[in-house]
Amino acid sequence: MSSPPLWQALLAIGLLAVIAYGSRVLGLLVMSKVPLGPKVQRFVDAMSTSVLIAIVAPLIVYGDGGARLAALATTLVAILWRSPLLAIGLGMMAAAAWRWWLQAA
Amino acid sequence: MSRDSEAWLDAPGTWRGLVMMLPVAAFTVAFGLAFGVAAVHHGLADWEAMLLSTLVFSAPSQFAALDMWHSPMPLLALATVTVAIHTRHMLMSAALYPWLHSLGRGRQFAMVLLMSDSNWAMALGQYHRGERNLGILLGSGIALWGAWILGTLVGVTFGGGIDQPERYGLDVIMFCFFLMMLFGGRPRLVMAMPWLAAALAALAAYRWLPPYLHIMVGGLAGGMVAVVIPRHGAGEPAR
Repeated sequence: MSSPPLWQALLAIGLLAVIAYGSRVLGLLVMSKVPLGPKVQRFVDAMSTSVLIAIVAPLIVYGDGGARLAALATTLVAILWRSPLLAIGLGMMAAAAWRWWLQAA
Repeated sequence: MSRDSEAWLDAPGTWRGLVMMLPVAAFTVAFGLAFGVAAVHHGLADWEAMLLSTLVFSAPSQFAALDMWHSPMPLLALATVTVAIHTRHMLMSAALYPWLHSLGRGRQFAMVLLMSDSNWAMALGQYHRGERNLGILLGSGIALWGAWILGTLVGVTFGGGIDQPERYGLDVIMFCFFLMMLFGGRPRLVMAMPWLAAALAALAAYRWLPPYLHIMVGGLAGGMVAVVIPRHGAGEPAR
């Protein structure tokens, strides 16, 4: 397949940049129109962590064994020791180990 | 500026945010490297990959764009996919609004310039623990941005090193970081129902809706459940 011409590449990069930054600004603009009452606070508070839940849930359910093992290792370490470096490091090692083992078997 | 200084920004705070993000930034270099390598494999020029990482600063949309990087460029499809991927950033910056609302509009907009998933999660966690220094958000953003650009540069320069990032567990970094943010800070019991709703809604959306929308659907579902369910017990004031 041939590479896109220069103007198309530049247009695409500009488009991506505008959408990426625009979405961040849009969230602020919407919130500036909504009065910050206790209900809105509660909504925003729960929404903020729910976004993370929404990212990880499908990865656990539809992910491979390596992803699930990584989730288990990271969550245990996070609860027990609360060390981000240890939690992420062990999670990566768990996923890598699982996949090595699958290839060897 | 409002008189109650609910938020401020200074150099020590920015430095603190930068240092706090360094462990994740180290992984981000590796991830950026993977993007640089993938970009070269997809036929992008070095400068195109670098410009993408510098201006877009978003792994999922950059990786998605690689598959459409041919002539003629499918600009409409590219825009649609990117919008879908970035719906979550709308919710994320909205969640920062209570922290930013006392600033002028220009400063608010500047503060979200380097907001990405990991530093947003970290900064918001700090905010809930009483942090008001916006340097945490800005500094951690600078750390990630720098790491992402550096990683991309190494990737496009030294090409074919890593072509299967998942073999080294590089694809689970963000995932593990998010789990750490969720369960490392003593999850609150009142979040049980919103989180359950978020998980179920996200799974349903992941299955039946167009790709990438599940994050926004899950986030909104969790927020709505928190507003609807009555709060009793758990020492939460009823109002």
